[in-house]
Amino acid sequence: MASALRSAVLRHIRVPVAETLTLNGSKWSLISNVRSMSSHGDDHITKEEIIHRVLDVVKSFPKVDPSKVAPDVHFQKDLGLDSLDNVEIVMALEEEFKLEIPDKEADKIDSCSLAIEYIHNHPMAS
Amino acid sequence: MSASASYLARRAAQKERVRILYRRALKETLNWAVHRHLFYRDASDLREKFDANKNVEGLETIDRLIEDGEAEHNKWRHPDPYIVPWAPGGSKFTRNPPPPPGIEIVYNYGQEDHI
Repeated sequence: MASALRSAVLRHIRVPVAETLTLNGSKWSLISNVRSMSSHGDDHITKEEIIHRVLDVVKSFPKVDPSKVAPDVHFQKDLGLDSLDNVEIVMALEEEFKLEIPDKEADKIDSCSLAIEYIHNHPMAS
Repeated sequence: MSASASYLARRAAQKERVRILYRRALKETLNWAVHRHLFYRDASDLREKFDANKNVEGLETIDRLIEDGEAEHNKWRHPDPYIVPWAPGGSKFTRNPPPPPGIEIVYNYGQEDHI
């Protein structure tokens, strides 16, 4: 009885839920792309963009000669910075990518390539 | 040989302590600064404080200076520091997280074809 009623009702009320929720042609895209107010970022940045932004941050550092900056450059050996400048650059990178890097790990980032790799592997980088 | 090795090890430990202290102090400066232009001036003041003792010799003196610095940092700890939103204590921490992998959401529930 209940199931007959249910199927009778369902025959008349048909909401194409899967279609309404579809974005980008995939029904999973709603889950993976749009999570508004979520603690998990919905934008995943590509490695090229990370490299570009990391280099931008390093180039805009006042004591750095922008022409020397390359993706494999070492902050202290190649750019002539000292260890405290290194700390400042890592903090600038944290702000650029909205990250919070633990002190011990941030201390180990001493070159552009390490910074790019760390940010690329960080799930929250945005 | 071992004396110089232990000297170098102690120097390396001191350098790491100074780097971490500088990092924390810089973050504290950013917490206290209301505006960015205030932060720039405070940060350069902080940098000057560190640079003033750049060439200090003597392990004991350096240790004492680091301890003084850490004590001062502890004294000026911000009561409500900035935390990035996704981190523990942040404003978006664990908010609306994605479902765990392996969970399937059935969108046409109740409209299966076999009914």
